[in-house]
Amino acid sequence: MLELAVSAPLETGAQLLTNEVRANFPWLSLSILFPIVGSLLVPFIPDDGDGKQVRWFALGVALVTFLITVGAYLYGYDPSLSGLQLSERVSWLPDLGLTWAVGADGLSMPLILLTSFITALAVLAAWPVTFKPKLFFFLILAMDGGQIAVFAVQDMLLFFLAWELELLPVYLLLAIWGGKKRQYAATKFIIYTAGSSLFILLVALAMGFFGGGTPNFEYTNLAQQSFSTGFQLLCYAGLLIAFGVKLPIVPLHTWLPDAHGEATAPVHMLLAGILLKMGGYALMRFNAQLLPEAHAQFAPLLIVLGVVNIIYAALTSFAQRNLKRKIAYSSISHMGFVLIGIGSFSVLGTSGAMLQMISHGLIGASLFFLVGATYDRTHTLQLDEMGGVGQKMRIMFALWTVCALASLALPGMSGFVSELMVFVGFATDEAYTLPFRIVIAGLAAIGVILTPIYLLSMLREIFFGKENDQLVSHTNLVDAEPREVYIISCLLVPIIGIGLYPRLMTDSYTASIQALVKRDEIAMQRITKPSALLIRNTSMAPAVISSPRLPMAQSHS
Amino acid sequence: MPSAADIAWLIPVLPLLGALATGLGLISFNHTINRLRKPVAVVLLSCLGAAAVLSYAVLAEQLAGAPPVTHLFIWASAGSFTLPMGYVIDPLGAVMLALVTTIALLVMIYSHGYMAHDKGYVRFFTYLALFSSSMLGLIISPNLLEIYVFWELVGMCSYLLVGFWYNRDGAAHAAQKAFVVNRVGDFGLLLGILGLFWATGSFDFQGIADGLSDAITNGSVPGWAALTLCLLVFMGPMAKSAQFPLHVWLPDAMEGPTPISALIHAATMVAAGVFLVARLDPLYSQFPVVGLVIAIIGTITCFLGASIALTQMDLKKGLAYSTVSQLGYMMLAMGCGAPVAGMFHLVTHAFFKAMLFLCSGSVIHAMEDVVGHEPILAQDMRLMGGLRKKMPITSTTFLIGCIAISGIPPLAGFWSKDEILGQAFMAFPLLWLVGFLTAGMTAFYMFRLYFLTFEGPFKGDDKDLQNQLLSAAGKGIDDDHPHHAGVLHESPWSMTMPLAVLAVPSVLIGLLGTPWNSQFAALLNPKEALEMAETFSWSEFLPLAGASVAISTAGISLAVLAYYLHRIDLGQLLAARFPSINSFLANKWYLDEINEKLFVRGSRKLAREVLEVDAKVVDGVVNLTGLLTIGSGEGLKYFETGRAQFYALIVFGGVIALVVLFGVLGSPVS
Repeated sequence: MLELAVSAPLETGAQLLTNEVRANFPWLSLSILFPIVGSLLVPFIPDDGDGKQVRWFALGVALVTFLITVGAYLYGYDPSLSGLQLSERVSWLPDLGLTWAVGADGLSMPLILLTSFITALAVLAAWPVTFKPKLFFFLILAMDGGQIAVFAVQDMLLFFLAWELELLPVYLLLAIWGGKKRQYAATKFIIYTAGSSLFILLVALAMGFFGGGTPNFEYTNLAQQSFSTGFQLLCYAGLLIAFGVKLPIVPLHTWLPDAHGEATAPVHMLLAGILLKMGGYALMRFNAQLLPEAHAQFAPLLIVLGVVNIIYAALTSFAQRNLKRKIAYSSISHMGFVLIGIGSFSVLGTSGAMLQMISHGLIGASLFFLVGATYDRTHTLQLDEMGGVGQKMRIMFALWTVCALASLALPGMSGFVSELMVFVGFATDEAYTLPFRIVIAGLAAIGVILTPIYLLSMLREIFFGKENDQLVSHTNLVDAEPREVYIISCLLVPIIGIGLYPRLMTDSYTASIQALVKRDEIAMQRITKPSALLIRNTSMAPAVISSPRLPMAQSHS
Repeated sequence: MPSAADIAWLIPVLPLLGALATGLGLISFNHTINRLRKPVAVVLLSCLGAAAVLSYAVLAEQLAGAPPVTHLFIWASAGSFTLPMGYVIDPLGAVMLALVTTIALLVMIYSHGYMAHDKGYVRFFTYLALFSSSMLGLIISPNLLEIYVFWELVGMCSYLLVGFWYNRDGAAHAAQKAFVVNRVGDFGLLLGILGLFWATGSFDFQGIADGLSDAITNGSVPGWAALTLCLLVFMGPMAKSAQFPLHVWLPDAMEGPTPISALIHAATMVAAGVFLVARLDPLYSQFPVVGLVIAIIGTITCFLGASIALTQMDLKKGLAYSTVSQLGYMMLAMGCGAPVAGMFHLVTHAFFKAMLFLCSGSVIHAMEDVVGHEPILAQDMRLMGGLRKKMPITSTTFLIGCIAISGIPPLAGFWSKDEILGQAFMAFPLLWLVGFLTAGMTAFYMFRLYFLTFEGPFKGDDKDLQNQLLSAAGKGIDDDHPHHAGVLHESPWSMTMPLAVLAVPSVLIGLLGTPWNSQFAALLNPKEALEMAETFSWSEFLPLAGASVAISTAGISLAVLAYYLHRIDLGQLLAARFPSINSFLANKWYLDEINEKLFVRGSRKLAREVLEVDAKVVDGVVNLTGLLTIGSGEGLKYFETGRAQFYALIVFGGVIALVVLFGVLGSPVS
């Protein structure tokens, strides 16, 4: 019975993952190593302590890294293929089964681009940093390489290393440059994430050593293993805790408001723009892709947690009086859609989850940047101490309004498309019983009401109304400078671009998402006794198989 | 040469391009662009003008009998799911295009005069162009999802424009309220769209209607579910078209500049809900129950708006409640299964109500020179009076508007309202009665507005009254406020010209929809027009029409007696005798209070409690764990004996535990 159960997905699922394309040029290794080498050169930059030279150097390195990833996308990546591309493999520690294996498919390529893009903007956002600038830019660049590595590596042990390596810069960036409670926030962050990543190591070892023989941690190899259901469930639970902290999933989220509340603007952009996406990416990569049968059992839980995220975090955000923490909670709320999408078993929903990660990466980064820029002027984050700021800072007001509208999923911007895709994908997908879908869609749609309430209240309290005399007399409310307008415009171009024509982004990864969802669906049908009563155990999925080819994808191939 | 319908996509795109250009200019070169008022106005006006010309060309083609045109492209796709977007040109859309571009163009010209002294002139014009673009996009949307997109965009423009004077607290609150209440409606609309897509696999209007009737026939969708979905979708129009109980945002939205109240909150955006219901007619006509619900909600709205308008002292608020009431009439028509009648009232109402609002803007503009830029003073009719002599054009056009809305033949309002009442009489006689009584109230409150504003002595110089009004509104009397103490004057040509232009359709356009030869119906629904002309009989028409005219005349006479000749004192006669009714109306049926207590404070309280839980319980557990760890570490350090055997024992114990765990949960090696 069991053998039968696992043999079929081997054929279909593994097949989809093994057709890999070798890289014509070591694009990905270069994009990982270049910023790291650049960061190592930072100490040798002649600098008189105020960071003027270092920041130009860092900006140059970050821009070149961005160009390398763009080059990889344009010249080495074919969006119509579902399998691994740009793959490079060098045996590193053969005794341990550790290989330097990098590659990209639809799950990782958009996030690699997002990482290098946001990091370049974060360096620009860090222009005013004058306290220990060398160390600051060293850490930012090291983080750039580490984060690209998280998305690009194709070996679970390597993934664990990259995941851990990227924690250290964040810890230091928080602990040295943060706000008043930075020590507490940084410690909390490191305990939470390091503690939870222990599960990654455990699961990686368990999966790598599975079946005896030489350990092998490569994703392609793990995907072909026939893990038993019990083992899968155990691994899935462990990984869910690890990635749930990162995403974050309520109730594992409490590190985030503290960390975000204390971080400076550029770190903030990286935290919201990229770090949270590592959780979502890993959930797709490992939980949904490598452990499909456990995913079929756990998916309803993901969806319930997603709805809890949306409503719970929206309510806490509404009650928050601290601007940074308010936006931090709104991030948690938006991540709920990622969870629903991943658990939806539909191409559209999962695709929407992916788009929501990209979209939130852009919108979250822009909002957090604006928070930082506003704080530089008002020197307070308490909404009660603001008010009427809009009369002095008109351009800032306009930028805030646009970004807040983007965040509340206004049509024409990326957030709307991604949330809509998740909604439609989940609501029309036959994997769940109708009552469950009605309840979940109804609850998630309450988020549609709650989000504008807290975001527009926030705008009203900061910018509208009479000027707050105390604030105006104590601070110098200068309007946005060109650098700030430029950063926001850079973020808004893709936000609006995706909003107007979503296929600009979705076409780059749909093939991989289709393969992923197909694998999960096949696994779901194999379950003879679904432990979760929510899933309807009927045949399905012909729609996915007969999906039409995308015109844009054809033009590439 | 391509037909106008083939390049109709330019209609929303042209104003959008204009708005984008000036918007980007405002962000990049704020000071320069702000000084270029005339060029910006000319550019945006020509964009909108070109769109208007195209719209009229489209309308002419449709009048000449051109078939509907649809152009689609694939906007998003994933798996088997594809979502086409594009545009559709049909008679209904063509009428709306011409209507919206005309009024938008006139309002823009008017704004040149009205906003002349405002610092945000350029920003205002940019928003106006953006709104026009979104509204035009909404009209030509071929499916529900695209409508939803533009639906939200017009909502956003409304938010930006209501909050235009963002240094006013009232404007800030009103803008937010407008957006959030509309989102409540959109919540239903979104769920309804999702559900209909689930049930029918389609987003376009005809596809949904056909798919749903098929699904009900073959039993894949139960009837109650289909009904629920229809009603959920109707929540969207309820919020947008200010239907009870989601109408609460519209009167507050009068905090925005008056040209906006005319364009968005009287003529176009608020009519979008009615328009959507007309679009969904193939769907709604399958369900008589839905029609009944729509008709009842429309009637309640119609009565509620008129009853509150009776006691309003703020000129714009009075007109706003009148709009609510008239929107109720349109919904009533939709519910009676007479979308053509509803659309006809939408068109006539758009002209005369836009004109009335622009007149009120002209009045406020003049009042501001006397009492200063304080909406509480400049809009209060207790300070007005006698404006007719100083502002002849404004007062004449306002009077025309009053006659039109009261339903006196042959002005526009008579034909459209009478058509609705006639339909209601046949479908739901009880609702007809309410609508009929409301017609009398309408005539009364409109002429009350007219007499209070334009007749009698002028009271704007009365400082005591001003201070009294300010303190009643809870505002301090600030003497540092610059007192203009100017004189009343007629508004500049840019403001009076649109009034004069709008007066023409307000008088004449009703003649296009006479029941015996309705050209309007012939365009929208030729079959119905023929039927109407055939079944028309004077013996049926005259009693009903006579009754409506009679009750309107009664309302007008009462207003004349009370506010012009001062023969009866309604304050003593009614308000003093029935104080509870009076305060019930003056407090707008206490709906704002209920909202405030139930939803606003309720949600705040809930949010605070959740945050409390988050900080104390969820985070508390974390911090407690931290404390426990420190405690246990303190305790454990006494086990640190340095003996290797002891460590080995602990490790061994751990391994045993793991083995047992795996054994229980299932073997890892299968």
